[in-house]
Amino acid sequence: MKREITLNVNGEEWTVAVAPNETLLEVLRDRVGIKSPKIGCERGDCGSCTVILDGKTVRSCLVLAVEADGHGVLTVEGLSRDGITGLQQAFLDKNSFQCGFCAPGVILTASELLAKNPHPSEHEVKEALAGNLCRCTGYTPIIDAVLEVAERGGVEDDG
Amino acid sequence: MAELKYVGSKATRIDGLPKVSGSATFVDDIDFGPGLLHAAIVESPHAHARIVSIDKSEAEAMPGVVRVVTGDDFPYRFGLYMKDRHIFAMDRVRFVGEQVAAVIARDLKTAQRAAALVRVKYEELPALFDPMEAVGEGACLLHPDMCDCERVPWFFPEEDTNIAHCRRTRKGDVGRGFEEADVVLEDTYTVPRYAHCAIEPHVVVGLYDQSGRLTLWSASQSPHTQRNLFAETFAPLGLSHKDIRVVTPYVGGGFGGKAGVTMEILGAALAVAAKGRPVKLRWTREQEFYNTYQRQAVTAKLKVGAKKDGTLTAIEHVLYWDAGAYVEYGANVVNAVGLSATGPYRVPNVKIDSYCIYTNLPPGGPYRGFGYSEFHFGLESHMTRIAHELGIDAVEFRKRNAIREGDTLPYGAKMNPSGLAETIDRAAEAIEWGSEVEPSGPGKAVGKGMALMWKAPAMPPNAASAAFLKFSEDGSVNVTVSGMEIGQGYMTAMAQIAAEVLTVPPERIRVETPDTDRNPYEWQTVGSHVTWGCGNAVRDAAIEARDRIFDVVNRARGVPVDALYLEGEKVKSRLDPGFELRLRDFVIYGIQMEDGTFRGGPIMGSGMFMPEFTSALSDPATSQGGHPNVHYTVGAAGIVLEIDRETGKVEILKAALAVDVGKAINPDLVEGQITGGLLQGLATVLYEDMRFDESGRLLNPNFTDYKIPTAMDTPREMIPIIVEVPQPDGPFGARGVGEHTMIPAAPMVANAVEDAVGVRIKSMPITAEKIALAIRDAST
Amino acid sequence: MSISHEFDYRRPGSLEEAHELLREAGDGAALLAGGTDLVAWLRDGVVLPSLVVDLKGVPGLGEIVESGGSISLGALVTFADAIDSEVIRGRLPLIWEMARVMGSTGIRNRATISGNICSGVPSCDSGPVLLVLEAVVRVSAPGGEREAPINDWFKGPKKTDLRSGEIVVGLSIDAPGEGHGACYVKLRRNRGEDLAQAGVAVLALPDMSYRVAFGAVAPTPVRARRIESCLAGRHMDDAALVEAVGLVTEETSPIGDIRASLEYREHMLPVMLTRALRAAAARRDGDGPAYGTSLI
Repeated sequence: MKREITLNVNGEEWTVAVAPNETLLEVLRDRVGIKSPKIGCERGDCGSCTVILDGKTVRSCLVLAVEADGHGVLTVEGLSRDGITGLQQAFLDKNSFQCGFCAPGVILTASELLAKNPHPSEHEVKEALAGNLCRCTGYTPIIDAVLEVAERGGVEDDG
Repeated sequence: MAELKYVGSKATRIDGLPKVSGSATFVDDIDFGPGLLHAAIVESPHAHARIVSIDKSEAEAMPGVVRVVTGDDFPYRFGLYMKDRHIFAMDRVRFVGEQVAAVIARDLKTAQRAAALVRVKYEELPALFDPMEAVGEGACLLHPDMCDCERVPWFFPEEDTNIAHCRRTRKGDVGRGFEEADVVLEDTYTVPRYAHCAIEPHVVVGLYDQSGRLTLWSASQSPHTQRNLFAETFAPLGLSHKDIRVVTPYVGGGFGGKAGVTMEILGAALAVAAKGRPVKLRWTREQEFYNTYQRQAVTAKLKVGAKKDGTLTAIEHVLYWDAGAYVEYGANVVNAVGLSATGPYRVPNVKIDSYCIYTNLPPGGPYRGFGYSEFHFGLESHMTRIAHELGIDAVEFRKRNAIREGDTLPYGAKMNPSGLAETIDRAAEAIEWGSEVEPSGPGKAVGKGMALMWKAPAMPPNAASAAFLKFSEDGSVNVTVSGMEIGQGYMTAMAQIAAEVLTVPPERIRVETPDTDRNPYEWQTVGSHVTWGCGNAVRDAAIEARDRIFDVVNRARGVPVDALYLEGEKVKSRLDPGFELRLRDFVIYGIQMEDGTFRGGPIMGSGMFMPEFTSALSDPATSQGGHPNVHYTVGAAGIVLEIDRETGKVEILKAALAVDVGKAINPDLVEGQITGGLLQGLATVLYEDMRFDESGRLLNPNFTDYKIPTAMDTPREMIPIIVEVPQPDGPFGARGVGEHTMIPAAPMVANAVEDAVGVRIKSMPITAEKIALAIRDAST
Repeated sequence: MSISHEFDYRRPGSLEEAHELLREAGDGAALLAGGTDLVAWLRDGVVLPSLVVDLKGVPGLGEIVESGGSISLGALVTFADAIDSEVIRGRLPLIWEMARVMGSTGIRNRATISGNICSGVPSCDSGPVLLVLEAVVRVSAPGGEREAPINDWFKGPKKTDLRSGEIVVGLSIDAPGEGHGACYVKLRRNRGEDLAQAGVAVLALPDMSYRVAFGAVAPTPVRARRIESCLAGRHMDDAALVEAVGLVTEETSPIGDIRASLEYREHMLPVMLTRALRAAAARRDGDGPAYGTSLI
C-alpha cells in the first residue's frame, strides 16, 4: 500500500506516493526525474547510485524511499544548478571521466571529502573514493583532479 | 606536414560537460511515459537440459501482466558470424541462466513476481564444462546441427564434434624449425573466464508501434549491426532495414560486452509481443555476469624453439577455447587468435591451431583484446623463460626477434610500419630494466617483468565507416557518425579531426550519438578501429565540405580554388592577403553577389571508408593467402612490483606501457586508454576470479565476490608512453588503440613474480593466495 | 533486481511504540537501522518480513557518550560516526581502526555497529573487535532492559542472542584506558571494500594481559582464550609468538569458500596473528605503526 512521502530534492519539495519496497534510487529516477544516480548493481557495491542524504553520501539503492521522508537529497543536478563547481571543472580540465557512468557518484563522494577535509592526501583521496567503482579510467586522472583542487585550497562550492 | 593545431592536442572532451554535470543521458535515463512496460526473464537453472514443458498460466493470470512469451513465439535463429542461437531457448537450454521465457508487465515488481510463477519442466542432460572433455571421446554433442547453421564462409565447424570452428595457420615447417633450434621449450598455460564489468548494465527499450515500425533504444557498441541482425532475424515479420531504428545514446562502458547482440534481441522480441507499447528490459548485475558475453577461457599449449644466439626458429601454439554455449560471436575471437598467436615476433616456422569448443557455460564473446590478452599470457611468459634458458636478457631476446615493417606475418601478408623497437626501449627504460630495486623491508621481494603485445582489429573484410557533416548558421558544425562513445573519447577524436580540416575548434563541433535513421553506417565500435576507420570517413567528409566551400568562393568571388585555404574559421587566399570570408557568413546562407543573387547554400560533406585491401579468403588448412587484418598496433610494457613473501600480496610500484598509435589524435585520450586498460589487465591477473560450481552455476555474479580494482588498488606510479610511427592509411597517421593496453598486463606480472620470488605461475589469476602458497611450497 | 516482496513500514517515535509494533507483528517484523544489510536481503528475497520497523525515529539512540571510563555507543551510531568521534579515536582506537576498513564511505555513513552485530555474519568486522573489548550489548525487551555480554551474543551464522520482540539499544564498553595497545588485521582480496576472509583483533593491556579474537574463521567470531593464557604476562618476543601461533588451529575452524581457500586461510592466520600481536604490543609500549596502517 502506497503512502505519501515528502522529499527535498536539490532544494525543491516533492510529494510522492511510494510503496515501502521502493528504494530511494528508484523513486528519484522514476518519480522525481533525477537521472544522475545510476542503477549499477543494486547491492551497494559499485557506488554509482550515490546521493547525498542530509549532508552525507549514501548508496541510494540501499535506502528505502520511505526512510527519506522529510529528509533532504542532493545530487549532481543540484550541485550543477548554478554552474559547475571547481571540482567539476577540474574533472573537465583533466579529461578525468570516460564513459561517465560513475561520474555522478564520484563527484558527490569527492565533494563530501573536500568539504570535510579541504587538503586530503593522495591516500585519503583514494580511500574516500574506494567505494566508487570505475572500469574505464584506472582512477588516476580522477585522483589527480581531486588532488589539484585540494592543493588549490579545496574550493568546491562555486566554480 | 604542416604544424597541426587540433589533432595532437589535449583538447577537452566534447562530452566532458554532460558527464560532469550529470546531464549525460544513458538508455535507462530516457523516460517513456506511464505506458512503459517492464520485462523480467525466466531463466534456466540447468546447464544442459531438454525443455519438456512450460506452464505460463499462473503468471499470465497475475493482474498487471500483459503477456508471457517463450521460444515458440519467436522460432528464429540469430548470430553475428554464425547463427547458432535462438532468441529464447527452444527445445533445450545450454547454460545456467539462459533465457527460457519472459514476462511483460505494467511494472517491474509485478514482472519479477510473475516470472517466478512460470513453471518450466526440464529433463537434465549431461553437461560439459571442460573444453578438453568436450573434445574427448564420447562427449555428447551440444549442437548436433551445428554444420547446418548459416555462417561466414571462413569458419570451419567439425562435423560430429563440439568443435564449432578451428583456425589453422601454417607457415614454413615447424618440425624443421624445432630441429634447428638449440633450445625447445614446451608448456601449457591456462586462463579462465572473465567478465567485462562495465558499470552500466545492458539495457534495452523496444517499441513496435502500430505503424509496424520497430525502434530499439539500446546500450550498444553496434547500432547498425544490431539493426541488421534484427532485420535478418525478424525477416518473417516483413520488416525492412528502413522500418527498424536503433538509437544508442551514451554508453556506460562496453569493453566488447556491448558489441554484437545479446539481450537486445529480447528487447526486439518483447516489443513485437507487446505491439504498440514500449517495453524495457534492464539486466541486473547478476545477469550482467552470467547472461552476457564472457571472455572465453583457454588452455594453451605452447612449444617454442630458438637458437643459442636468441633467434626464434619455430612457434607451435595449440589453443583449446572454452567458447561456451553459443559461439556466434566468440568463434571470431578464436579465429583472430588463430591468425596471430605468434605475438609480435619474426618467426619463419609457425603452426597455430585455435579450437572453438562448445561447453555448457555462458556464451563467450568479444572482450577488450579479443583473445590476444588470453594468448599473450602464455606466450610472453614463455618468451621470458626461453630467454632465461638461453642465458639472454629477456628484453634483449625480444628486441632480437621483434617483428619489423615488411616482415611476413603468420598468414603470409606483410607487417605494417611499427615502432615496436622504440616501445621496447622506452618501456624498459621507464622501469629501469636491468637495475635492482631494494625491497622496502625484510620479508619483501621486488621483481621486474616485461612483455610485448600486438593486436589487429578482427573484422570482416568489408567493415566500413561513414560520416555526415554539416554547418550551422553560426559556423558551428554537426558531425553524425555511428561509432559509439563508450568512454574512449571517440566523439572528441572525430571532432578534432574535423577541426583540423575545417579550422573550426573542437568546442564548436558537435558529434552526435548514433541513430540508424539519421547517422550513416558504422560496422561496430570494436576492434580499436573507429579512430582509424571512422576518422578517415570524418576527414573525408570534412574535406568534401571544404572543397564545396572553396567551390562556392571560387564561383562567387573568382579566386582560383588552389589559391584558397582555411584559417581560423575563415577562407583566405594565397594570392591576396587581404582577402578573407568568415565561414559563418555563408555556410548556410550562401555568398551574395553584386546583383543581389546568392551562390552556394548549406555546406555539407559526407565521407566513407572501407578498407579495400582486406580479404578473409585463404587456404582453410594453412590460412595462407588472405589479408584478414588491416594493421597491427604494437607495444611493450614493464612492471616493477613488490611481494610480501608471507601474504603473497602484490604492490605495483611502477607500471609503464608504451604503445605505437601512429598519431595520437588526443594524447589525453590515449593516456586514458593506457591507465584504464592497464588497470583492467592487472585486475585479470591479480584480482578477478570467476567461480562456477559443479553444476555450471556462477557462484560470484556480483562485485561483492568478483573483485575489480578500486581507487585504492592503483599502481603507485603509472607511466604512459606514446610512440608515433605513422600508419600510412590512417587519419593524420593514426592507428587504433583501446584494447591493446590490457594485453601485456598478465604476462608481465607473471614474469615479475618469477623475478621476485623465483616462482613461475602458469595459470591465471595470479592471486595473493596462489603466490603465497607457491612460495611456501617452493621453500619446503 | 527490484524488491518484489511487499511489506509494511513504520517509523515509531519511541521505544514503547517500537515494542508495540514488534509485538503485533510477531516474527514477521524486521528491524531497520542503516539498512545496508537489510535492504540487500530484501532485494535478494533472503528475508521476507511483513513489517519493517525503522528505528531511526527513536530519539536518543545516536549518541556516543563517555562516562567514568565507560563508553556507550547508541544503536544508531554508524561506522562513520565512530571514525569521526574524538572519543572513539582517543579511547577506543581499535574500533576506529576497524571502522575504517569496513565497507566504504557511502556504506559507513549508514551502517551501524549495532546493526553489524545483529546481522551477525561470521565475517562481521565488529565481531572480533567487540569481543576483545568485552562489550556489553544493551537490549530493550518488553519486560525491561537487559544486558547481554558480547561473549554470549553470537550463536551461529546470522544467529544472535537477540530474542523475538527485543531491540538492541546500544553497546557499553569499558575503555581499556591509557597505555593499552590494540590492532585489527583484516584479510581482503583487494585494498578496497571487501568482506573479511579472515580477521584478527588483539588488545594488549597495560597489565601485560592480552585479548585475542578471530573473525570469519569459525561459525561466529570467537575469543581465543588459549592463546590469551599462553601470552598472559609475557613480552611479545619470538618465543611468545611461536607459541601463540601454534595454538591457532585449536582456536579456529576455517573453511574454504569462493573468497579464500581453506589452505590460504590456514596459512594466513599465523601471519595475521603475529603481525597483530606485534603491533598491539608495540602500541601498548608507546611505539608501533600508527593506527590505520595496513599490516598485510
